[in-house]
Amino acid sequence: MFDKHAFVCYNGGMISEERLRILTESAKYDVSCSSSGSARKNAGGMGNGYVAGCCHSFTPDGRCISLLKILMSNDCAFDCKYCMSRRSSDVPRASASPEEICELVIDFYKRNYIEGLFLSSAVHVSPNHTMEQLLLTVKKLRTEYGFHGYIHLKGIPKADPMLAFEAAKYADRMSYNIELPSERSLKLLAPQKSRESLLAPMRALSERRTAFKEEKRRGYFLPAGQTTQMIVGASPEPDGQILRLSQALYRANGLKRVYFSSYIPVVRDSLLPDRPAAAIREHRLYQADWLLRFYGFSAEEIAAESENLSLDVDPKCAWALKNMHLFPVEVNRAPLEVLLRVPGIGAQSAYKIMQARRYTQLTFADLKRMRVVLKRARHFITAGGKFYGEKREQMVRGLLAAGENSANAVQLSMFSEMEAARSALTGQL
Amino acid sequence: MIYFYDGTECAFLCALALAFCDGDAILTSRDAQLSLGQQSTFVRADPERAERVRKRLLSFDKNCMRDLSALLRCGDACRDAAALGYFKLLAERREPVRDMLAEPAVAAATECIRRVNYEVHRFHGFVRFLESESGALYAPISPDNDICDLLLPHFKARLPQFPFVIHDVKRKKAAVYDGEHTFLAPLERAEVALSADETAWQALWKRYYASVNIPARERLKQMRGYMPVRYWKFMPEKQLASLRQS
Repeated sequence: MFDKHAFVCYNGGMISEERLRILTESAKYDVSCSSSGSARKNAGGMGNGYVAGCCHSFTPDGRCISLLKILMSNDCAFDCKYCMSRRSSDVPRASASPEEICELVIDFYKRNYIEGLFLSSAVHVSPNHTMEQLLLTVKKLRTEYGFHGYIHLKGIPKADPMLAFEAAKYADRMSYNIELPSERSLKLLAPQKSRESLLAPMRALSERRTAFKEEKRRGYFLPAGQTTQMIVGASPEPDGQILRLSQALYRANGLKRVYFSSYIPVVRDSLLPDRPAAAIREHRLYQADWLLRFYGFSAEEIAAESENLSLDVDPKCAWALKNMHLFPVEVNRAPLEVLLRVPGIGAQSAYKIMQARRYTQLTFADLKRMRVVLKRARHFITAGGKFYGEKREQMVRGLLAAGENSANAVQLSMFSEMEAARSALTGQL
Repeated sequence: MIYFYDGTECAFLCALALAFCDGDAILTSRDAQLSLGQQSTFVRADPERAERVRKRLLSFDKNCMRDLSALLRCGDACRDAAALGYFKLLAERREPVRDMLAEPAVAAATECIRRVNYEVHRFHGFVRFLESESGALYAPISPDNDICDLLLPHFKARLPQFPFVIHDVKRKKAAVYDGEHTFLAPLERAEVALSADETAWQALWKRYYASVNIPARERLKQMRGYMPVRYWKFMPEKQLASLRQS
């Protein structure tokens, strides 16, 4: 009745643990792991899409494993300064065949280890050769192995656009890494790549996708859209500039996500900082990114172009503190878009408030029962006319910053970040 | 009065009918400590009576049985009180109360339902299948809530060619897909002869798990928040970690 070889034709072998290790370790600094956005149906093989995305495991660094994130090859022709797979770096090299990748995906997926594949590659031999190999693999996986789970494919810059268009028919999502936030840094640190070689394929795919949707063609063309990522802290661009770039990518190129990866020194180079970028900066950028995508903020409201985000308080708090004349707002009357701008009130809490207040006049006790977090919000709202926050602006800032810091307090050392040293001097914990 | 019932939907609806006019009613499906002078009764499941109550409740809120089903799956001790409070309120108000989130009864019930739904979502990711000799898949789980049959549609849709068994070892039952139909069956213990490659694939998965981690950025608390330790028991990748730590 049941034959495991019925659909899947095995003609490769199982990849060795050592090669899997090398190809994974070279891929792991890619931050994107999300498997959301695709509703691909099972068409008589294995797997389907999960629109909300699904995490299958979590690693000790707190990141989720959703996709099998792997390189086809880490044998690179390019020499990007920040990359551990760069040509001039002395690391063990490995490659995997399309069959090995396919079997790994099928057997991991069957055991519910993963939600799909995130396939990337170093530029092996040439951009076109690499893109051909990637395309061959996803095509094989979809057609020969009957796999309908999630596939995120990395685009190789400077490869023939036709290869990318073909790959887009099989992948759920594609991404070209914008790598660094400015053309200047790119020239300095990734000499073989140019801003145009990264943006052009993004734009071309985006146009094709729009056309595909409008013509209501059959099949799929990147149902989960495109994303990109950039390294933060390897080059001097301020947060304000980074957020403007993200906003432009969302608006003009229709990207689904812009990922930030805070710089980790994996290779030494005189052009690169020796120390890793603070994880808190990446965190603040993501908070700001959320404000752009879900809370109706614009980059201009969050930070001036030459400004960095405050590390003491989150960007929504920082915005509210600059606009205290707008607060407090009454939770029983404020429209949704205003509630969403209250520090500490997230999308879920805002919707809960909207629902509950149709039936009763909400009090602070009600909000608490509804699990709306009031630690920050109480300074910015009234409930039934009552205000339980702190009126003095300076005190509010102090309280908000203190609440933040106690959560990630660490022992000071001589090598602590500057901001920790500053708080020791001022006595502000 | 304390009303004992067996945890089924039918008995709950009968108990609800009895408890509705009783202001101090306590409803429970487990052992409960009686205080001095407190009366108790065991509510017997009466399908006809339950049907009458169900019809009445559905006339107030056509989706309320979905809430009840989720509530009765909740493994938390407070779920009986939450369910009683929620359905008493529904019977009093005679209109859907789901969105009255400021009502304590609704807040408590919403929290129970949220936990059940969240655990289902988590287990879509955390289930780990073992491949047997025949090619059928077997996954032991021990979730907080009674959810193993709720996992069936998800896995049937994505693995239509693979018969599988999801075994709730705590509640001694199994959700089964035989390649055609899905059903729920009692299952005490299962002996599974593993396929020849199973150990090798598990080893590869453990290797992958170890390799994809960035040791320079250890955030164990965050990991445990997303994937609590009680779920690790049947995850091959966490067996390696516990071996290393000890």
